[in-house]
Amino acid sequence: MITLPSPALPARRRAALLSLLSPLLPTLFSPLWLPGAALAHGPTRQKVVEQVSINAPAAAVWARIRNFDALKAWHPAVVESPADKGNEEGSTRQLTLQGGGTLTEVLESHDETRMRYTYRAKDGGALPVTNYSSAVSVKADGETKCTVEWRGAFYRAHPNNDPPPEQNDEAAVKAVTGVYQAGLAKLKTLAEAR
Amino acid sequence: MVWPAFALWPAPAVAAIVALTLPATLSAAPFAYITNQGSHDVSVIDLASQTVVATVAVGRSPAGVVASSRAGRAFISNPDSHDISVIDMRSQRLVATLPAGDGPVGIDASADGQQLFVADWYRNRLLLIDPARPQDAPGSIALGRAPAGVAAHPDGRTVFVAERDDDSVAVVDLPSRSVRTRVAVGSHPFALLLDVPRQRLYALNVQSNSLSVITLQDAQQPTVVATLQTGNTPYGAALSADGRRLFVTNQHADTVSLFDADSLQLITTLTGFAYPEGIAAHGDAVYVVNWMDDNVSVLDANSGRLLRQISTGKNSRGFGAFIGAPLPP
Repeated sequence: MITLPSPALPARRRAALLSLLSPLLPTLFSPLWLPGAALAHGPTRQKVVEQVSINAPAAAVWARIRNFDALKAWHPAVVESPADKGNEEGSTRQLTLQGGGTLTEVLESHDETRMRYTYRAKDGGALPVTNYSSAVSVKADGETKCTVEWRGAFYRAHPNNDPPPEQNDEAAVKAVTGVYQAGLAKLKTLAEAR
Repeated sequence: MVWPAFALWPAPAVAAIVALTLPATLSAAPFAYITNQGSHDVSVIDLASQTVVATVAVGRSPAGVVASSRAGRAFISNPDSHDISVIDMRSQRLVATLPAGDGPVGIDASADGQQLFVADWYRNRLLLIDPARPQDAPGSIALGRAPAGVAAHPDGRTVFVAERDDDSVAVVDLPSRSVRTRVAVGSHPFALLLDVPRQRLYALNVQSNSLSVITLQDAQQPTVVATLQTGNTPYGAALSADGRRLFVTNQHADTVSLFDADSLQLITTLTGFAYPEGIAAHGDAVYVVNWMDDNVSVLDANSGRLLRQISTGKNSRGFGAFIGAPLPP
């Protein structure tokens, strides 16, 4: 598991990390393949688990992200994120990304008690993945801190053997890792701002 | 047998020590062989001590498994290295690697342990492999799209294969080496489970969140007699050792559905899993493989209560009948 820089990391370095990632974001979401191109998928499901520790109460952080359509407020690569049925199961979220890519995601569960929601993407969307599903959750670490976890399960974009480099397992993991790290870093910045 | 000190050791060290010190005539305690797709190895759990006693390096991205007590071997499918790893159940060592098409996934063995049935995901076929004759080219039977789960009937005449992208189960006739018939099920069937005493086959439909109950009373034309609602994304099924309870892992829901196997009524839905996948039962316990958390949850087979968790390698799957015990010589 890769963990984001700890809160002890100087703000200057955090900012540098973000500015490093920002130019990458449009390419992370570059539309490399067509939705619905293949039913089958590669044989090896991949996963990414990213966590960030935030110096803010869990309830306050959950309030920022609990709405399925709130992603644009806390992810630097997301321009629009309307959801047609709010936080109801089956609600469909249409993401518009910087650089013009899109993603369509469907809410699978929304649990206020556990401060967690899960969703899956239709057709992989603008990431080099297929059969993508994901969960975002907040866990309290005492009264004043919390840990946000974003985890995903997916297959690479290339459904057969011998994938090209931009559609192999490593490319899929790298893209999803970049998306999660960028989102969690911005969420941390927003939640800790005074 | 208990290895208390080993629990704190890194797995490769344990494997090395076990390989060096285990006597050749290890008692016939059952073992669970958990395929770890992310670390390219198999965690061997001694069910007597409930600890990992060996970690065996295998091919690339191991997924499927069948632990054949009759053969005294666990057979592991490696989709990314396109082969089968053979682990000896007494030494817990890799003893052979067999070529297996382009993308071996689901795997089962004949009741006598002498033949393997392997779904070749990319080539839409069932491979018939004789592990004693690795030099022979595997037999091959054409199937529908994306063959996944495999279940061999102990009568030695029939093998069932889930054809995931065709939403069907192929009923393969072994004497004629052809598909005898097909059964239409739900959307994207992946895992299969045979219930021989009840003459049933269960097919888990990943996309329609359901389980198709297929009766095998007419061997020529099995038919769906019931469809049960499961949780989101059902991926694995197991019957308790006494046959009374049917467990289904629901991957996206992080739950396990518990059914009464006679009435097919849902008893309860168990929570606290993390992308649960493979599942198998032995004695009074049920073993659930958590792909996301890299561990196995051990449940009481009657109540479903969590007894303990056992850490495994990375991205554990355990897709298949992963528990076996070497028979006495």
